[in-house]
Amino acid sequence: MSEKAATAGSVPASTAVPSEQYNYEIVKKFSIAAVIWGVLGMAAGVWIASQLAWPFLNFDIAQITFGRFRPVHTTLVIFGFGGNALFATSYYIIQRTCQTRLYSDRLSLFTFYGWNLALILGVITYMAGITQGREYAEFNWQIDILIAVTWVVYFWVFLMTLLRRNQPHIYVANWFFMAFILATALLHIFNNIQVPVSLTSPHSYSLFSGVQDAMTQWWYGHNAVGFFLTAAFLGMMYYFVPKQAGRPIYSYKLSIIHFWAIIFLYMWVGAHHLHWTALPDWVSTLAATFSILLLLPSWGGMINGIMTLSGAWDKLRTDPIMLFLITALSFYGMATFEGPMMSLKSVNALSHYTDWTVGHVHSGALGWVAMITFGSLYHLIPRLWNTKIYSLRLIYIHFFLATIGIVLYIVSMWVAGIGQGLMLRAFDEYGNLAYTFTESVVFLHKPYVVRAIGGGFFLLGMLIMAFNVAMTILTAKRAVPATDASRATAATAS
Amino acid sequence: MSTNEKPSKKPGEVETTGHVWDSNLQEYNNPLPRWWLWGFYATVVFAIVYWILFPAWPIGGTFTKGLNTITFMDDGEEVTTHWNTRSLLARDMQTGRHAVRQREMLDRVGDMEYEEILADVDAMSFVNAYAKGSFGTWCAACHQTGGAGVIGQYPNLRNDQWKWGGTVAQIEETLVLGRNGYMPGYRESLNSEQLDQVASYVLAMNDYDLDADAVAAGEEIFNGYLGGCYQCHGVDAQGLASLGAPNLSNNIWGLVDVPGAADDEERVSRVASFVHDGVQRVMPGFADRLSETEIKVLTAYVHSLGGGQ
Repeated sequence: MSEKAATAGSVPASTAVPSEQYNYEIVKKFSIAAVIWGVLGMAAGVWIASQLAWPFLNFDIAQITFGRFRPVHTTLVIFGFGGNALFATSYYIIQRTCQTRLYSDRLSLFTFYGWNLALILGVITYMAGITQGREYAEFNWQIDILIAVTWVVYFWVFLMTLLRRNQPHIYVANWFFMAFILATALLHIFNNIQVPVSLTSPHSYSLFSGVQDAMTQWWYGHNAVGFFLTAAFLGMMYYFVPKQAGRPIYSYKLSIIHFWAIIFLYMWVGAHHLHWTALPDWVSTLAATFSILLLLPSWGGMINGIMTLSGAWDKLRTDPIMLFLITALSFYGMATFEGPMMSLKSVNALSHYTDWTVGHVHSGALGWVAMITFGSLYHLIPRLWNTKIYSLRLIYIHFFLATIGIVLYIVSMWVAGIGQGLMLRAFDEYGNLAYTFTESVVFLHKPYVVRAIGGGFFLLGMLIMAFNVAMTILTAKRAVPATDASRATAATAS
Repeated sequence: MSTNEKPSKKPGEVETTGHVWDSNLQEYNNPLPRWWLWGFYATVVFAIVYWILFPAWPIGGTFTKGLNTITFMDDGEEVTTHWNTRSLLARDMQTGRHAVRQREMLDRVGDMEYEEILADVDAMSFVNAYAKGSFGTWCAACHQTGGAGVIGQYPNLRNDQWKWGGTVAQIEETLVLGRNGYMPGYRESLNSEQLDQVASYVLAMNDYDLDADAVAAGEEIFNGYLGGCYQCHGVDAQGLASLGAPNLSNNIWGLVDVPGAADDEERVSRVASFVHDGVQRVMPGFADRLSETEIKVLTAYVHSLGGGQ
């Protein structure tokens, strides 16, 4: 208790810490990259969503057809926007919660260039038609190696920084980041064991075949959701929610229990993507039941986040960043309820291969991942540049545009997916299938239009954010010359 | 209970863990929410029940089979096995309500002659319902949903033009064997003036009012040595089903978009250009992909589309 009082009393407010203590440059780079990739990735998403509604929009140009552009969209939003945001926040959080500078400036800079080079190469190769054909792992084998090296360096920087901490305890956010980094390394490497056609060819064959190959891919695919898009963003949540609320985390006990439960359970559930296939039935059962077991541990994170705000609910009226964070947690709770339901074999028989899946992914991706990232970046960016956000009003506008966009997206995909699922299993009085596949495609047109409009709202919000961030940084840079003189004297004095 | 939980809802009264990070990050040590804990136990119970009923845990080279069973017919013998998706499908196809009903109707239609099917309202009602799906699956990619085709590419099955014959026997043959349509191009043997003349003659047979001299010259080419069109299409251009040569005098246009042309000049140029290029098209046979009964149903359906012959 005395320790607490001493620290709380003597250490000045977070913004006052001199930037030399921590490496903020690398956090700045990743933050800006996250915003840029976010704009591009979401624009690509709106574009392909529009192609589905109005197919002529591919203009018969092979490079921008749905098949090639879809991995551009998923890669840029998951690994470009999400990945860069995770690098930025994890490097920021570990420094601040360990009270130490990053282990190595040069290695962390290497992770920045390695990661973003891989993304650029990915976009170029996908558009050129080069792909591994594995969902969310489309990078060809050379890029896979670049990513693996970058990731190992990330792991090393993170681990060494953790070991050099000036804090006796490791903050909960760092547990999640560590789990995310370790699991992602494991997933990336094992899902990309490929036999190249030749050393100069971008093409390769998977080492696994048949159902084992599918199983490996979806073990990877769902854990990309579990560790990349969930555990890591929970790490983000565990820092920025209590920081922004100015209140302690609701329950330390809950954080421990739900952390280990999530880490243990997620690894089992990937096979629920392969229900009713050649997959052995017992694998399906385990995947379905472990998905159900995952429901409450997932909600543990939501409870801990939302209850942290308990007693300070008034902040929702005055703080748009808090709105982003709490809405993100609400969508997280909704998506992690929907997911286990869809993983049951009987529900899956209806939902699988329909747009319900697409809607589910986006309630997680837009509602949880993007919203928590928006909130975190709005908290982070002014502090990095030691300034105030350019416009609080624009954050509000962004929030409402994003929320409207998500609602349009999810609702239209529920209509599309459930309608499609019901049409494909409907029988007529003679026991014939009542609808042709084509009829289900015709039915999808209107929901697709609504989805594209929803995506447009979300993209518009992202563009407003990019503007707000750019203006914040420009304003801060303009203010710097005025204080440069005083800093210079301070530096020489020290 | 309520007195126990009250403090946890009033922040400041619950103790924190005592750790502080980054100047103000702390953690309360609230107990696990009751409903959360019981909810988690409920999912554990659900999982255990599921594991008891269904195949679940691998043990060495085998796995726990679960208590659920499925009984179905395998090669005429009744088999009872643990629950699994393949047996589930087999049972559903054997005794499922829809599968039984569909098989009953297919058997009934399979035993009928075409004349009986076409005259039987019930049978035709089934044929239309079944073919909606199978035509949609196998035929609509070219002939389009509903069978209206695409002018210039895929034959329209809803009109009176039966290139390969419109009797049920001929339609069935088309479906079973497929068809290879071929007309040679005349780019070598006819010059552009002669092409225009043949085109004028063909259009004149369909009541288009064109230059009489050109029509006369065209007729000479059509029915003479130079063009020899009559060899397939016939002297009166009535067509020849055995070669897939269409009737050219019924003003039905499958390959040349005459109705879409703006004026006579464009009509002539479109027909002439077609004669210049010739055409070669293939429809695949379905004998390997569809059963006899399925072909029978599709034949009756296609026959009914354009009224047959």
